[in-house]
Amino acid sequence: MKITQSSLLKKDWFGLLIVVLLSGTFIAMLKPAFLSAFNLYVLMVSVSYMLIIALSQMIIIAIGQMNLSVGAIGGLVAISFSGVMEVYQISVPVAICIGLVIGTVCGFLNGYITVKSGISAFIITLATLYIFKGINLGITEAEPFYEIPETVKNFGNAKIGTSPIPYLIIIPVIITFLMWVFMNRTETGRHMLAYGNSVQSAELIGISSSKVVVTAHVISGFLAAIAGMLVVCRLQLGTPNIGDSWLLPSFAAPVIGGAILAGGKVDVIATALGVLIVAIISQALVIFKIDPFFVQIFLGVMILLAVFVNRYREYKQESSKKIFNND
Amino acid sequence: MTKFCLEIDSVDKAFPGVKALNKASFKLKKGSIHALLGENGAGKSTLIKIITGIHKQDGGKLLIDNVEKTLNTPNDATRFGISVVHQERNLIRRFSVGENLMLNNLPRTTLGLVDYQEIALQSKKWLEIMDLDIDPSTIVSELTVAKMQLCEIAKALSLRSQILLLDEPTSSLSPQESDNLFLLLKKIVRDEGVSIVFVSHKLEEVFNICDEVTVLRDGKNACTSESIKNLDRKKLVKLMIGRDEQIVKSKRKTDGTDKTILELKNVNTDLGHKNISFELKKAEIIGLYGLVGAGRTELAKCLIGLEKINSGEVIISGTAITIDSPRSALEKYKIGYISEDRKKEGLILIHNVIDNASITVWSQIKKILGFVTNDMISSRVNPYIEQLEVKTPSIYQLISNLSGGNQQKVSVAKWLAAGTDILIIDEPTVGIDIKTKAYLHKLIIELAEGGTSIILISSDMPEMISLADRILVMKDFKLNGIVKNDHKYDTVSANIMEYIHD
Repeated sequence: MKITQSSLLKKDWFGLLIVVLLSGTFIAMLKPAFLSAFNLYVLMVSVSYMLIIALSQMIIIAIGQMNLSVGAIGGLVAISFSGVMEVYQISVPVAICIGLVIGTVCGFLNGYITVKSGISAFIITLATLYIFKGINLGITEAEPFYEIPETVKNFGNAKIGTSPIPYLIIIPVIITFLMWVFMNRTETGRHMLAYGNSVQSAELIGISSSKVVVTAHVISGFLAAIAGMLVVCRLQLGTPNIGDSWLLPSFAAPVIGGAILAGGKVDVIATALGVLIVAIISQALVIFKIDPFFVQIFLGVMILLAVFVNRYREYKQESSKKIFNND
Repeated sequence: MTKFCLEIDSVDKAFPGVKALNKASFKLKKGSIHALLGENGAGKSTLIKIITGIHKQDGGKLLIDNVEKTLNTPNDATRFGISVVHQERNLIRRFSVGENLMLNNLPRTTLGLVDYQEIALQSKKWLEIMDLDIDPSTIVSELTVAKMQLCEIAKALSLRSQILLLDEPTSSLSPQESDNLFLLLKKIVRDEGVSIVFVSHKLEEVFNICDEVTVLRDGKNACTSESIKNLDRKKLVKLMIGRDEQIVKSKRKTDGTDKTILELKNVNTDLGHKNISFELKKAEIIGLYGLVGAGRTELAKCLIGLEKINSGEVIISGTAITIDSPRSALEKYKIGYISEDRKKEGLILIHNVIDNASITVWSQIKKILGFVTNDMISSRVNPYIEQLEVKTPSIYQLISNLSGGNQQKVSVAKWLAAGTDILIIDEPTVGIDIKTKAYLHKLIIELAEGGTSIILISSDMPEMISLADRILVMKDFKLNGIVKNDHKYDTVSANIMEYIHD
């Protein structure tokens, strides 16, 4: 068996892991406060819901489409979740179910309209973005829901025992694992990637396009719903502007993780590490007291770097293949 | 009684303006290799698309194992045991070989998860049949083209296909790889009981492995399920090209004394052209003939600066030049290129007639600040649109609403307006009805009479013989020979075929 360096180097996540470890060590050496319990807690909280937002976009990238309404779905679910608890005093588990159903239905609509119309998901989700956001503002009249049950607030604040690990990160970690299993080990997940690679080839072997597209959008909506509710736990209130700032970060992490927007290539672990890298950079800039506006610049540079590195690796593989073919 | 696993009985298929198939028939014997031959445009691809459920026939029957079937989708074809191995590879490049083979029926563990060990185990069997000694976990994109092709056949076998359609399977293989493929094809026909429909332009391959031959010509059968034993090379070539077609005679006489306007000397290109040398005289039409993949369009693209010329000389009116972009080809050297792919490269479909026709002249007529007014454009372009009799309700009609022939006229008008000296015309009449075709032929001759030098790329032999003064035959990115065209169809076509099938 040859599980060698080279096979590790081929993995998208391996390079990112090294970046995470190096940058973590580097920052910790300069500023030991980086590893303080409080800091780690803050880091993990921000990673928690960003992880789900990134996965919600990643599954749509996998089939070669885009979901612009990720944030709008998350926001609609967030205010519905907090709204039904405040206005109708509905119990927390039922409210969670309502939130999940809303997210799933929104995702289904995205997928169904995309399949039936044959229009690109970019445009369909641009339209639904406004519709979902409009419903959100219509319900809330731009006022937040403040009456959140204590159990929900506690869940948003609590740490596991005396460790710095927030409860908030448990669900995202489980979901990341499940998504890995889904993309790598289930037939539906593999068919999605095959579809993303080549719609024509996938259809020729009898993979149903409509099933693949609708399923991906349903999962995306479901994940956006979870992210929306986690943010409510975190903020301790349901404000209508939850989700407004999700769109670009939702693309950043998968792209840093080597995803190709044309579809067919995503990596769950690499996407998770992408989220972690973005979080570490944001955190480091705070610790070094750098103007927060720079976070955006760093993020931009990071994305460019990631894309260049991926391009370079593909180029390397191609050229090594050519040499291989010649002999 | 002989068993036929596939029978095509008097199948018709019409597309707007073209009758692609006219009572085409053939019978595929079980366990045989059947060649399907014909020139470009003879209806082979249409027939293949009908057999694979992509198109539905207008009339006629399709029988599988003596039972009439209706194929509505490619899926139906797969279900009835028909698989195509396309020229373009239909594998998922980022997946492993094993997963590709098993993709529409992935084996699962008791937990319902994809079982990669089982995939490796099952796919190994099919790979062994194809003598492929590769690890099923190898990623497809790491394979050579030849191996990808073998994997695709293995995939078809794994689908339990009894009928394989191979569409020019050797077009991107080396001779050794082709020989290897043929050995394997013979083996699977013998051992697995499959039957093969083999589409190829290479006659030597047909004689090498096929049992029976069907030739299509203009959508009709030139011969039907003829045993290869009754045919020889010469008969086959005659069956493929020997059609009665009126040759438009040009009154124009070129005596070869005109001045040379373009000359290529030992040109080698980035795309793999080797030692291309020819001359183009003023007001001459030279034809580039060859099979698909001979490198003709590619040569045109090198000439207009889209691709790189590595060595050799390009001489225009006596001076050696380098053409670095289509813009300088047009503006400095007055070379225009009318693409074979009207829809993708030639025209901007969502723009109107006048915008498309004038796109080449904008930089010539723009005023000081770079503004171009509609009046300036129409005064420049309208004469050409009228001269070519473009049938359009107005010059502001969207191009996509015009017929193919009229779209092509706009393509031509665009370059006429730009005042080119050398016009490269690539497959001008593909998908165009006979009447407009004749008109375009007249137009090309008139252009030449007006002093434009033309390089005509066409796979349509009668078109070539009626228009060109000299015919350059290309094969595998090389110039195989030059045929002086005396417009006598029989001798000239035979000469051309000599160069192609040498």
